[in-house]
Amino acid sequence: MKQFISFVIKETRHILRDKRTMLILFGMPVVMMLLFGFAITTDVKNVRTVVVTSQMDHLTRRAVEQLGQSEYFTLTATVATPAEAERLIRSQQADMAVVFAPDFASKKSGLQLIVDGSDPNMAQQWTNYAQQVVAGSLGDASTLSVVNSKMLYNPQMKSAYNFVPAIMGMLLMLICAMMTSISIVREKERGTMEVLLVSPVKPLMVIIAKAIPYMVLAFAILIVILLMAHYVLGVPLVGSLFWIIAVSVIYILLALSLGLLISNVAQTQLVALLLSAMVLLMPVVMLSGMMFPVESMPQVLQWIAAVVPPRYYIEAMRKLMIMGVGIGEVLKEVLVLVGMTVVLLTIALAKFKTRLE
Amino acid sequence: MSAIEVNNISKSYGQVKALDDVSFTVGKGEVFGLIGPDGAGKTSMFRILCSLLLPDAGTASVDGFDVVKQMREVRCRVGYMPGRFSLYQDLTVRENLEFFATLFGTTVEEGYDSIRAIYSQIERFGNRKAGALSGGMKQKLALSCALVHSPSVLFLDEPTTGVDPVSRKEFWEMLSTLKERDITIVASTPYLDEVRCCERVAFLDHGKVRGIDTPSVILDRFKDIFNPPGLTKAAGAQAATPTSQPENIIEVEHLVKSFGSFHAVDDISFAVKRGEIFGFLGANGAGKTTAMHMLTGLNQPTSGTGTVCGFDIRTQHEQIKRHIGYMSQRFSLYEDLTVAENIRLFAGIYGMSDADIKRKTGELLQRLQFTEHRDTLVKSLPLGWKQKLAFSVSIFHEPGVVFLDEPTGGVDPATRRQFWELIYDAAERGITVFVTTHYMDEAEYCDRISIMVDGKISALGTPAELKQRFNQPDMDHVFTYLARQATRSSD
Amino acid sequence: MIKYLLQKEFLLIRRDSFLPKLIIMFPIMIMCVMPWVMSMEVKNIVVDVVDNDRSVGSQRIVHSIEASRYFIFNGQKPTYKAALAEIESGKADVVLVIPPRFSKELVMGHRPQVLIAANAVNGTKGSMGSAYLSQIVTANVAPTAAAIQAKASTLLLYNKHQNYKLYMIPALLAIVMMLMTGFLPTLNIVGEKEAGTIEQINVTPVSKWAFILSKLIPYWLIALFVVTVCLVLAWLVYGLTPAGPLWLVYVLAMLLALFFSSFGLIISNYSDTMQQAMFVMWFFIVCIMLLSGLFTPTRSMPQWAYATTYINPMHYFIDAIRTVFIRGGAFRDVAHQIFALLGIGLFMAIWAVGSYRKNN
Repeated sequence: MKQFISFVIKETRHILRDKRTMLILFGMPVVMMLLFGFAITTDVKNVRTVVVTSQMDHLTRRAVEQLGQSEYFTLTATVATPAEAERLIRSQQADMAVVFAPDFASKKSGLQLIVDGSDPNMAQQWTNYAQQVVAGSLGDASTLSVVNSKMLYNPQMKSAYNFVPAIMGMLLMLICAMMTSISIVREKERGTMEVLLVSPVKPLMVIIAKAIPYMVLAFAILIVILLMAHYVLGVPLVGSLFWIIAVSVIYILLALSLGLLISNVAQTQLVALLLSAMVLLMPVVMLSGMMFPVESMPQVLQWIAAVVPPRYYIEAMRKLMIMGVGIGEVLKEVLVLVGMTVVLLTIALAKFKTRLE
Repeated sequence: MSAIEVNNISKSYGQVKALDDVSFTVGKGEVFGLIGPDGAGKTSMFRILCSLLLPDAGTASVDGFDVVKQMREVRCRVGYMPGRFSLYQDLTVRENLEFFATLFGTTVEEGYDSIRAIYSQIERFGNRKAGALSGGMKQKLALSCALVHSPSVLFLDEPTTGVDPVSRKEFWEMLSTLKERDITIVASTPYLDEVRCCERVAFLDHGKVRGIDTPSVILDRFKDIFNPPGLTKAAGAQAATPTSQPENIIEVEHLVKSFGSFHAVDDISFAVKRGEIFGFLGANGAGKTTAMHMLTGLNQPTSGTGTVCGFDIRTQHEQIKRHIGYMSQRFSLYEDLTVAENIRLFAGIYGMSDADIKRKTGELLQRLQFTEHRDTLVKSLPLGWKQKLAFSVSIFHEPGVVFLDEPTGGVDPATRRQFWELIYDAAERGITVFVTTHYMDEAEYCDRISIMVDGKISALGTPAELKQRFNQPDMDHVFTYLARQATRSSD
Repeated sequence: MIKYLLQKEFLLIRRDSFLPKLIIMFPIMIMCVMPWVMSMEVKNIVVDVVDNDRSVGSQRIVHSIEASRYFIFNGQKPTYKAALAEIESGKADVVLVIPPRFSKELVMGHRPQVLIAANAVNGTKGSMGSAYLSQIVTANVAPTAAAIQAKASTLLLYNKHQNYKLYMIPALLAIVMMLMTGFLPTLNIVGEKEAGTIEQINVTPVSKWAFILSKLIPYWLIALFVVTVCLVLAWLVYGLTPAGPLWLVYVLAMLLALFFSSFGLIISNYSDTMQQAMFVMWFFIVCIMLLSGLFTPTRSMPQWAYATTYINPMHYFIDAIRTVFIRGGAFRDVAHQIFALLGIGLFMAIWAVGSYRKNN
């Protein structure tokens, strides 16, 4: 037991001594939370709009005023022809043009929206909003609405709600898998592993002792993220805190066994680094549904996505944290995670080499 | 019962046979030497005995336990210091030692007696990070870490590479006290004086045991390998230089380099003449490498002046770099390039023309008898060859001075002799050689030597002069006499 | 002199066990898989319908949903509560509740309210889903209202087919440049530091510039090669070609390369181990990418965050490359981005060379 403790202390020292890496490990969650919470939004806002009209009658003026007053649009110029508007859009001085026909006031029609369609999603949303605003100015569309929309769980449509679980999934994976594998491979590369193996300490203990500080670190980061999410970003933690942490622990174990597996395969730190980056980080960012919706992908990619562990974790966290459902609703995800952990851990331990090649 | 029994062990890596039908026994409490040139299979043998490696055929037992079947028992009884033992660079000296002590189930206090002689030299650096120690001091710390517990069998794979002669002596004295406690020791070493400290040695060559006997018998039987005739400088080599008072190619006045309050190099002054072989000796951590870094333009001096090839080391370091060659302590050719490609790269850097490079490459390879290895990757060459190659590359552009930082560390005597033949060749062609070494037989080969102690030069002169001045029989004793006066690293 | 250093770099890259594979596989991966992954297109939204009316009118709405390319109709649910349970367990994304006597009330001229409840944890998906759904409902029950909206015709410029891949390919080029000219040279230089060979180079007369250029040029060439392969693949696989002049795409790519390689060099000058270099690099790159408008519109950012885009080279690059690639812009349309990139790149390059020390 004394050996074990001194092992853990040694490992902790390694982590604490590398100030820059420490700073990144703790700075990353904080910066990412702030960026996602405050800077990055997909809201429609400040769309640079050009008005194209040849004559300003009162109805056109009212529509233009309405556009300018809404928080969505910023009027940047008024030009005479659509061609000019298009030139402005091409040179990225505007995003959208609203073209009023000369007889717009009399017919209450003859309105054209010229939209920069580079980003299909945004183009679609700009169009919707512009139509609503203009139709509103004509004063007849709003009363016709038969639809009562309700945004569940996230009425203010904050993107933080969506990203917080994803950031947790990514960072826990990064810290546990990448850092553990690198630290084991570093001992192999430097030759200290030989001494550790020949010492009376059981190999299994070496591994567990290595994993513990990273587990604690991951846990600390988890707490930092949860606190920031709640107090800084105002994300409600509606679900049971106990289950959030319990599922995270399973996930941390999963990530640790993945790291162990990588350290068995890799012989040099560089390989471990690249393996973790390519095999772990890329799929996590790309296929876990963190940024890009999995269900829009082709079938083949969806199958691949089905074996990416963070996907289930992120899904479970979204449900537990944001939607506040009971553990029963995420049973499937939790079971998949537990299954994966058991399988990976078994393989990793069975493959752990107590001798050299 | 013998402590170690090895029966017909064989091990191969792919095509290469590392060990071929090796058998020997080591008695309890014996100090057993495992010697042989680089690549003879010594490290594989150690790993098999530590149960780190599985043999392809044959059996071996340590303390009566089979290394294949009884891995756990073996591992509880042996101590092992691998050749490339590396410490945790980001832990301090004390933390490293404490960690290894706990790992082996003891404490620093309990094991202090068995490491006192060596650890006391580095103890005052207890709070320094291991990564900031000089090469030799790291090795001393590694030794302390390996010896802090007392296993029943101790395996040491070239434990003293890069360690200065005084510390080596102290180390072997320590080993003999371990022997009194009935600890069996198996060690490999390239140093002949250390071979003589063993009771029996096995000579391995190309994976085969060529002989097992007492050191004197083995050294005598394989005299041509271990004890090549001493080098004598070709008569008239010195006289070849026309002027009787050759100019100074290196001049140093009051050179100081400090890191914080620590003076690594503390006010040294000396001069080296053109065409001289200048030995730059000193204990580990005396400041040799730092001084060399200042002369080669890698570091700025804190104070003092100096010129190399007539250029100021403070302001004209880039011009200096044009006129010198350098071979660093760490092996520094590109491992993934072939022999010819490495030569071409460094020759090209010094601005030689393609035609010149081609012609001289052919000549060089022929002289080194490397022609057939022209397209071999450097990483697959044996260590001794790499070092010969690295030296040849560093003087390929005919520099005025070549700086060699421990060029022969960890190489067997025959290869070292060949290496010195190359150095003599270079000196004859008028290249000044500035060399550091821990082999005192090599010190005798130098025209003049300086001995650094605690960042200062405490002796300077020809080997004969020094022996006379300090009234010692050979350089080894001169060095020991001076180094024992050091205050910086002891107590 | 630099000739020999370059030769060495190429030999080392070729001998490396990993790099050649990466250089070949990377563009293929990026072009053949990523456009499918990096689509933020919202489709396959799973809809539950609670039809309390069960009239012909309500059936028509359900049919429209089934026919829409955005939705997957998951079935009728007896109560709102049951449907909500489906959302909670992740089986459905949106619920549409049609009130009792819906059709009849409509005919009578009342305005019965249809409820759309969307899972808005993912804001974009929630809002787009409910917007599409309300369009369908409006079109079905209030043709007049739909007609008013239809009065405003929409002209989508440049990306007429709303092809997400077209939007993402310029972003992929940015990622390629980042990896090839940012990460790889950094790891290479720190690797030489760790192996000790850099010390040997430092005692030779090789100038700073020669050494640095010899490290960067191979990766610039590789990056050019990879960009070319990516463009060719985009054309072969998706039939997408730059709408603007091709040389501008290359000029922009090289300017970005200048920035990333200088940036990588600065990091490698200040780091001692690969792990450190990699982490620091990664940290900055994530920030630069997220704030560049690569994935999200920069104009929606708050003032302080938007201010950072003035010094974010990636922002200039992504703006310019999209203008050239998608909108068909010419040099004068992207001139100010080019100059900004050049300025930032040169500043970083000077810093990088200044911070590299052969003698300290």
